[in-house]
Amino acid sequence: MSDAVDVHELRTWLEDGYASSVRTAYLILGNRPDAEDAVQESFLRAWKFRDSLATGSSFKPWLYRVVVNTCNSKLRKEIPHRNRRRPDDDLDDVAMIDDPIGRVTLSHDVISALKDLPTHLRVVVVLRYYVDLSEHDIAIVIGRQPGTVKSRLNEARRRLAEHPALQSEAPRPITVRKESKS
Amino acid sequence: MTTFDEEMMRRALQEAADDFVISDGALERILDEARDTASRDDGPRIRAFIQRNGRGRSSILAAAACVVLLAVALPLFNSEGPAKSTSALDFGAAKHVSVQGGAATPDAPAGFTDVQGTGFETGATTSGNSLTLTNASAKLSVTTGVDVAGQSSLRVEEVGTIHLTVGGKRFQSTLSKLTDFATTDGGFVASTQSHMGTKATHSYSTGSIILQVPEHNFTMLVDQVRHAGVATSVQTSATDVTGQYVDLQARITASEVSRSQYLKIMTRTNSIGGILAVQDQLNSIQSQIEQMQAQLNLLNTETTYATLTVAVSETGHQTTTPVAKRTGVDKAWHDSLHGFAAGVEWLIRIAGPLLFALLLIGVLLFLGRWTWRATERRRGGIS
Repeated sequence: MSDAVDVHELRTWLEDGYASSVRTAYLILGNRPDAEDAVQESFLRAWKFRDSLATGSSFKPWLYRVVVNTCNSKLRKEIPHRNRRRPDDDLDDVAMIDDPIGRVTLSHDVISALKDLPTHLRVVVVLRYYVDLSEHDIAIVIGRQPGTVKSRLNEARRRLAEHPALQSEAPRPITVRKESKS
Repeated sequence: MTTFDEEMMRRALQEAADDFVISDGALERILDEARDTASRDDGPRIRAFIQRNGRGRSSILAAAACVVLLAVALPLFNSEGPAKSTSALDFGAAKHVSVQGGAATPDAPAGFTDVQGTGFETGATTSGNSLTLTNASAKLSVTTGVDVAGQSSLRVEEVGTIHLTVGGKRFQSTLSKLTDFATTDGGFVASTQSHMGTKATHSYSTGSIILQVPEHNFTMLVDQVRHAGVATSVQTSATDVTGQYVDLQARITASEVSRSQYLKIMTRTNSIGGILAVQDQLNSIQSQIEQMQAQLNLLNTETTYATLTVAVSETGHQTTTPVAKRTGVDKAWHDSLHGFAAGVEWLIRIAGPLLFALLLIGVLLFLGRWTWRATERRRGGIS
């Protein structure tokens, strides 16, 4: 009986946070199947250890912490030790869809620059600009001091501003990017 | 884009993420997996041993650090603490006794001030089972192990040397007095040697006498002897030979067992060659037993009787080279050097244990942090 109640609770969690979590993982990992795996693992883990969420603590940073930790774990342990997945799943392929107003080109450039960032910087950028967490919440998520978050964000901004893909004002032709990728 | 545009970044990430289409059935897959997991995990959930809040962790780490520090510091302080008072040798009045780091140094003992430049060394040092006591005139407490001689197994070998100076007329009577001391204390005079000086040859009377008294009367004898004249130096030492004594006893017992076994073998041996071989072994063992027995007897004698060598000389006969008394800047300079050396010595002495403690704390902190982070990663939760 209690299991049924728990699973119902998990369903509520998933309906509330699955989409944003899996997209966050996708931006961090740069890979669709890995992101889905990571989020599935994260939700199961968070659900299993839900008692560790202290009363009064915010659920959102807690869940994102689980997601980020799982992503970090995958980046550290699994992904470097295996062949890359199908290239179609990679973040770069956001440029493959139709792009009448240059939207995808911009995304492509930003994502390309994002992928060149070290993981610890990429995580704070995604949490700050996609998840829209405050520096304080990011500090909770990554288990560091707010000062560290600030420092990482500054470093990430500096690197992104200097990235060649983001240097030019004019959008680059999509075809060029695709050719360079192949 | 030469500068970082936060809005553009937000928009680009949003658009990139929006392109991620959520797979159909993803939620159901997770729920199915959760149901399977729940059915597998019927047992009680293992709770975290360490409470996952910062204060709890800090407290535990601080407690661990304190335990390590105490574990390191206590033996250190015990080893550097002042000597325990188990027997007191009262060598008469002293103007002042300063105690520093377990060593007592008397300043210019009353009654000895007429002996200029004679070296007085006072202190107690222990090393392993042995203890050396050099003393002057002060009420000095030292650990000799003698007072715990109530434990019958304790064997302490005590020897001492006293230099006495006496007036020319009292030389002979002092020697007689020393002999009396030994006999009244239940001991005897082991040897005596004297040289009578004459005014005609401008020589001084000198002599030495070796007294042996039961070990428990040694302290009393030292006290009596040093009052028989002006003691220019008193030196005693006590060595705990209990370990050596017990070891010898054990070895003798073992050898005797071997000997009896060989004797049994000999009774069963019929061949001449066999008998000779066993006889050789028996001879060897017997020789060893006798050697060890002799050593044991010697130790027994040395620990039963304490030996005190008294050198007596007539006043005016200088047996030691006088050391010029330092004054003023010279004294201050030497005191300063001595203080500096003592400070360096202290630093070196504590550096080892301190370094070890720091290293241990560092390792503990590292392990604690590593464990905590591993747990965090595994559980994926937050406190």
